[in-house]
Amino acid sequence: MKFTYITEGKKGKHSVTQPGESIFFIHNYSGAVEISIKSPNAKVYIYGVYIGKKNDNFTLNTIQHHKVGESVSDLLIKGIFFDESKFHYEGLIRIDKKAQKSNAYQKNQNLVMSKDVFVDSRPYLEILANDVRCTHGSTTGQLDKEQLYFAKTRGLSEKVAQKMLLEGFVGDIFNKMEETGLDLSVIPNEVRNLSLLN
Amino acid sequence: MPKKNKDDLDFDYKYGFSMPDTSVFQTKRGISPEVVFQISKIKNEPDWMTKKRLKAYEVFLEKNMPPWGADLSKIDFDDIVYFIRATDKQKTSWEDLPAEIKDTYDRIGVPEAEKKFLAGVSAQYESEVVYESVNKELTKQGVLFCDMDTAVAKYPEIVKEYFGTLIPARDNKFAALNTAVWSGGSFVYVPKGVHVKLPLQAYFRINAERFGQFERTLIIADEGSSVHYIEGCTAPIYTTDSLHSAVVEIFAKKNARVRYTTVQNWSNNVYNLVTKRASADENAIMEWIDCNIGSKVTMKYPSVYLKGEGARGEVLSIAYAGKGQHQDAGAKMFHFAPNTSSRIVSKSISKNGGRTSYRGLVQIQPHATNSSVYVSCDALLMDEESRSDTYPTMRIMENDVQVQHEATVEKLGEEKLFYLTSRGITKNDAEGILVNGFIEPVTREIPLEYSIELNRLMQLEMSGSVG
Repeated sequence: MKFTYITEGKKGKHSVTQPGESIFFIHNYSGAVEISIKSPNAKVYIYGVYIGKKNDNFTLNTIQHHKVGESVSDLLIKGIFFDESKFHYEGLIRIDKKAQKSNAYQKNQNLVMSKDVFVDSRPYLEILANDVRCTHGSTTGQLDKEQLYFAKTRGLSEKVAQKMLLEGFVGDIFNKMEETGLDLSVIPNEVRNLSLLN
Repeated sequence: MPKKNKDDLDFDYKYGFSMPDTSVFQTKRGISPEVVFQISKIKNEPDWMTKKRLKAYEVFLEKNMPPWGADLSKIDFDDIVYFIRATDKQKTSWEDLPAEIKDTYDRIGVPEAEKKFLAGVSAQYESEVVYESVNKELTKQGVLFCDMDTAVAKYPEIVKEYFGTLIPARDNKFAALNTAVWSGGSFVYVPKGVHVKLPLQAYFRINAERFGQFERTLIIADEGSSVHYIEGCTAPIYTTDSLHSAVVEIFAKKNARVRYTTVQNWSNNVYNLVTKRASADENAIMEWIDCNIGSKVTMKYPSVYLKGEGARGEVLSIAYAGKGQHQDAGAKMFHFAPNTSSRIVSKSISKNGGRTSYRGLVQIQPHATNSSVYVSCDALLMDEESRSDTYPTMRIMENDVQVQHEATVEKLGEEKLFYLTSRGITKNDAEGILVNGFIEPVTREIPLEYSIELNRLMQLEMSGSVG
């Protein structure tokens, strides 16, 4: 298992040339993240966590470029946006003609916590091979009102209930990484325990 | 099973025949202020329309070709005839039409359909509407259904109020071109509270070679009314290219409901570059059902401006791209008001090197609270030469919303194919069945007569697939 942490100041262009699993973790990074998959049996996980506050303005471009077939890539970017923060996301899955039997997934989920937030999400697909399976999804919205209501009926304050749901929302990403066998200590504590109380 | 030759795959396009040219007038090839002026003059248009056209021509020159989307570099604007008058007078009986034109529509089956299930029919041949008939009941209820040229002459006040307000010439190069040289198209006005029970239909036919058809359609559904409008399109197969560039503007007033169904089956030498937009007021429902089977290149993104509270917009679309075809189609939804909702369902199929692209935009303006958006795009790739793209954009400027988008791209399920073939169904038929099942969520919304035709078309397109 290969782990790459992409955050401010780190390079965004990477190639996967070996079979096996690799994880890329992106946090509050603006710029392009281009992963070229050049090996069969490569399993590439790309996870991202974005927390936007005040005037934060993030622009993320991801490219999952399958140049060789029989490979898998799975991207999940989650964002929580407060205040007047902005998030521009453009993600591309590109499957070259000869990269048959590729599977590629891409998901972007955003929670919008203030009416002054701006989110622009563009999940693109360019598929030139036919024996593939590619999906992408994007959701943007608020915290589930029923979940909040449920938590409050159990005696939690609005603030605590919200914090719990937000932690669950991004915690999902850390759980997924842990499931693949990653030791989470490679991720700085302050990133793992994001302050989600506003 | 014997393998068929790949070249046999192009199915028999049954509308590819052409008739001898019997037109009574045409402008000279190419576009210039003189041609624009001539078109306006021959139609005896009022001054304001002539001015609008000439102004739009200037805009057309200024505007660049879109830098995105399909390859349009082969369009030669100087090699197109912009206006052809096929008959000297519009008819209200099929029998009165010249034999060539009547024969054309008989072969397409329009008079048959009219008898069976339509409330009104308009048939456009080249630049102008040659046949028109409306159910008398509708006329009594105050429903206006005529071609745009007649509307400019007969109902100038209504036309002036709406024409070009939703799609101004400045919108894009092809909207400018259409505004400059438009001819034909439909005008529909449904008064308050009137429900048009049977669909109105317009049929567009190109017969000439290297020709441009620029129909202009305006539909106004007044408060609490409803109407279903259907358009069909075919053309002969030539080795040269033709251009079809329509502008369609629809106004659905408070509580009105408009459904606009397109079955586009141009021959594979037609560039189909169309701007379609609707505005939906309070609690209005606007539905676009958009089927793109034919043409060489299609670029079309029907849109809905959800302006009134509680308005709802829907686009259901099917795109099929075979050899040499690129369908760049999609939808746009703009949420301007609270409690608005929209749904886009797109199904595309690429085969024999064809390319389908879904391109869409969903925008939620500030204060469009409690709005919801659902977008789903599914693509099938039938072979390794074909291509599928998905280019959705979501811009969200409000937090009290739910926006969902999902897309899948895959090939036909091998297990499903295996199951069907194990029951004794040939592979070709099995593919046809699966493809028809794939597009069924959209075809079930289309009037029966059309969905049967569409299923049959799909079956044909799928037949002879290399196993």
